[in-house]
Amino acid sequence: MASLWVILTIALPWLGGLVVWLLGEGRSKVQHFMAVGFSVASAVAGLMLLTVITDEVIVSIPMGTLFGEFTFIPDMLGVFLAIVATAIGSLAVIFSVDYMRGEAGLGRYYSLVLLFIGAMVGLVLSGSLLALFLFWEITAFCSYVLISFHNDDEKAVRGGIKALVITQLGGIGLLVGALAIESQIGTYQISDFLSRFQELPQNVLIFIAFTFLAAAVAKSAQVPLQTWLPDAMEAPTPVSALIHAATMVNAGVYLLVRFYPAFEGVQGWKSAVLVVGLLSALIGGLQACFASDLKRALAYSTVSQLGFMVFAIGLGAVFASQFHLLNHSIFKALLFLCAGSIIHALGTRDMRAMGGLRTRMPFTFLTFLIGALALAGIPIANGFFSKELILEHAFHNGPAWAYLGILLATGMTALYVVRMLRLVFFGQPGAYSIHVDSQRAMKVSLSVLAFGALTSWLLAGQFSSSLLASLPYQTWVDLSTVEMLSELIAAPGTWITLIVIAASAGVWLFWKTRDREGQRIQPVSDFILAGLGFEHLNHAIVRGVRALSNAATLTQTGQLQWNLVGLIAALFLALSMAVWSMT
Amino acid sequence: MIAPAFIWMIVIPLLGAPLVYLVGHSGRRFWGDRVSRYAALLVFGATWVAFVRAAQAASMEPTADFTWGGMSLALDGISLLLAFVALLLGTFVASFSGEYITGEAGQEKFYAMLVAIVGVMIGLGCATDLFNIWIWFEAMAVTSYLLVAYYHTRALSLEAGFKYLMQSAAGSVLVLFAIGIVLSQTGTLTLAEIRSQFTAGAPMLLAGVLFLVGYGVKSALVPLHTWLPDAHSQAPSGISAMLSGVVIEAGLVALLRSIAPIAAQMTFWGPLLITCGLLNMIGGNLMAYAQTQVKRMLAYSSITHVGYMLVGLGVTFLLRESSGAQGGLFHLLNHGLMKGLAFLAAGALLYTLHSASGDHKPLMIADLAGGARRYPLAALCLSLALLSLAGLPPFAGFMSKWLIFKAGFASGDPLLWIVVALVALNSVFSLAYYAPVVNLLYRRKPSKVVLEGRPLPWSMVTPLVILSLAIIALGIWPDMIGWMTHSAGEALVAGFHF
Repeated sequence: MASLWVILTIALPWLGGLVVWLLGEGRSKVQHFMAVGFSVASAVAGLMLLTVITDEVIVSIPMGTLFGEFTFIPDMLGVFLAIVATAIGSLAVIFSVDYMRGEAGLGRYYSLVLLFIGAMVGLVLSGSLLALFLFWEITAFCSYVLISFHNDDEKAVRGGIKALVITQLGGIGLLVGALAIESQIGTYQISDFLSRFQELPQNVLIFIAFTFLAAAVAKSAQVPLQTWLPDAMEAPTPVSALIHAATMVNAGVYLLVRFYPAFEGVQGWKSAVLVVGLLSALIGGLQACFASDLKRALAYSTVSQLGFMVFAIGLGAVFASQFHLLNHSIFKALLFLCAGSIIHALGTRDMRAMGGLRTRMPFTFLTFLIGALALAGIPIANGFFSKELILEHAFHNGPAWAYLGILLATGMTALYVVRMLRLVFFGQPGAYSIHVDSQRAMKVSLSVLAFGALTSWLLAGQFSSSLLASLPYQTWVDLSTVEMLSELIAAPGTWITLIVIAASAGVWLFWKTRDREGQRIQPVSDFILAGLGFEHLNHAIVRGVRALSNAATLTQTGQLQWNLVGLIAALFLALSMAVWSMT
Repeated sequence: MIAPAFIWMIVIPLLGAPLVYLVGHSGRRFWGDRVSRYAALLVFGATWVAFVRAAQAASMEPTADFTWGGMSLALDGISLLLAFVALLLGTFVASFSGEYITGEAGQEKFYAMLVAIVGVMIGLGCATDLFNIWIWFEAMAVTSYLLVAYYHTRALSLEAGFKYLMQSAAGSVLVLFAIGIVLSQTGTLTLAEIRSQFTAGAPMLLAGVLFLVGYGVKSALVPLHTWLPDAHSQAPSGISAMLSGVVIEAGLVALLRSIAPIAAQMTFWGPLLITCGLLNMIGGNLMAYAQTQVKRMLAYSSITHVGYMLVGLGVTFLLRESSGAQGGLFHLLNHGLMKGLAFLAAGALLYTLHSASGDHKPLMIADLAGGARRYPLAALCLSLALLSLAGLPPFAGFMSKWLIFKAGFASGDPLLWIVVALVALNSVFSLAYYAPVVNLLYRRKPSKVVLEGRPLPWSMVTPLVILSLAIIALGIWPDMIGWMTHSAGEALVAGFHF
């Protein structure tokens, strides 16, 4: 039975993708219906995995001597992320029914979305490094094609290719790390590595720990490889929700958590993770404060929130990071889908052209508000609890600068959330003309997510105990929901945080700067939005490669005498190497 | 003496080629233009029967040999693999080229040459001494010059054929020198005997270098590759697929066979081949990145892929165990399928967008814009081929690259780890020129050329679809072909005669 659910959770979305694609253009109703059906079915299968949680191999496919066995293990860490992928994924699919109505290329859209979801499930349930890497690459491929879904748009194409190249560069880290493990212990199985990592020479383990970190940094859009995520905003909005909440970026954090027991003791690894997370939380937050594009602002906030999770792993607060991942995926999906609803209605993503939407789109306002409260970390909403846990750990176990830094990032979060709310929903209406709130299918997704954003923290205790029960190599504290609550209320850190949040929110709430915004500080905001120079670095690299490539083509003269010179040169080179080898 | 089964894989196409020509030439009046294609397919069908029987026999007894006069042939893993790729691509190219070649004068020559080149390549794979390798190699070269310059009324394709001829001829002379040196040093040309007859020293090293450069021309080692972009882009697309998918690899096989017995005594060859591989990858990638013509881009990417194979093979030369070669030879097979598919798909689009309406313009990358709307299957197949070439799963290219990486890591040598990282980096880099093509194909707004294009005949699309399915199948289930690549890798190691 267990193997059935594992197989179904991966296979249903893929099968659905195939079916939707084969249906062909011109049958949009059936395509919508099929896509929703298959994605919801996979979410159900994903939830059923909860009944079969185990740390043992459930499905094993022999791939031949050279490729090892592809194993699948439904432990709580994997199942939790599989549920996030399928459940949030299916809500994004439901939302798409309205969002993508009338768009061309529906078959391609849905089949890739479903492939994406299935690949993510495969990634988190894989017990084999090769299978993990394979699914890792498939998610990279899916994000690329979906980001550049509107191929006629130059910016979308560039965004897609940028995402692909940067995450693939990180993928090299996973590749070499996985191969190093295989070459040392002779198997691809992750559990073998986790139980025998002490056998590895110290320098090899360091190598693996840092290559995996590089892979995670690229995939989860952390500094210095964060630049692809904002550009990925050219994707259709449900895809953004998928990438930011359900699939792509979670993979990096997952990788760190999965291998945490092995890398924990590696010299300098945790500090590196801590610093990467903190920098991302701060830089992402800062950029979100200045962005004028609604989706880009949300993207920066994803970088920042992922920074919180990575930071927590660096502290050793693995449970807090996973709890924040769960909550973040709910409220960020909610925020993205609300944004999608607004963009769909207004036809613009520029927040300065919005304003006053509170009365025009009341339902969307309400759901967005819930998401915003969660993101800012206001009590009752789920974001508060997980963020508070992270801060609590930083307060007690982290160095002072780390605590202050993450507190600052928390303040910034409140700041940009309030700014976003004000620009979009309050103030004078911009020059838009709309009459519709979110449509029916959209409302379904938004309500479910809003409910989740308010209640998912209740699962903390359950979540913590089943994680502990099924992950033999992780050593976390078991924490029930009640314990968590009482701890948080008693802790002084909580009140410090709440004061910081309130203060930052207040600053923006009462600071009437709307008219002047962006003028006086233009150069500063340009610099910040250009990724504090990271963007320039990207461009410089691309320019350099282009120049090198043009220089290389000069060697192709097309003239026979030069071609023969090449032959003589090769002879000379090979001979000199030969002579050199003999001496 | 009864000829073993594998001999028929060589005899049937070699005898079949003149028959195809005769039937095509004289039968045209009765059966029309298509007859030569059907004759070629018939010959390939018969060769497949021989292949299956040879493969069955090989599974019982891994090596079989046969001597006839001064010529001796033997079947081992490498010959079987090369025969498989050559025959597979030959069959696909013959079934694809129907409409493509229709209307051109002398298509019976095209099919006769195609059949001949397949037979010659299978023969090359089975040759067991240096001189016979060279003879088969030259026979392959002569056939391929004619195919490159098939459009003999066009200046550009004659130019390409001429450059190809000149450079290969220069390379051939070097090979002859090398053979002379080996003979003078060891008194034998038989591969199996050389190893026991010689002492390592300057002359044998020189012979190896001459083999490398001489055969390197054909297998497009940088900087000997300069003929390749012209030849691959000027040849009919089916022939581009053959050249890129199997002919340059046959050159590689000739090279490997010739240097393996020499290499066994020297540590120099592994690093040298890996260096060549890196040069090929970097050079090929940099130049492919700047291309604006589809077929030229694909041609440069072949140079890159020879680089991947060389790294895998070089690892085997270095470590003296077969895993690198298994990866490299698996990549040889996959590259044949992927690049064959890419060239055939590009050829289908070239045909329908340009050639069918009578113009001889090359297919520009910009021409492809919006191609997926009118030619969904051809565009999908081309995209799959490109993504597979870039090494994305779940396509075949990913799996063979993985094996090459794995072999590099098995040694635990940090220098090799850096090599692997460089190979991976190159693989990522190649996305920078493959991915935009895919995006372009899936635009909504078609280019002017696409709007004016003709419908694509099914005879062209069917081979594309089958090849795509094969690439996906191998990507999901790489072990399917493991028996072949495994024995080929082992055969290479056996060629060292330790």
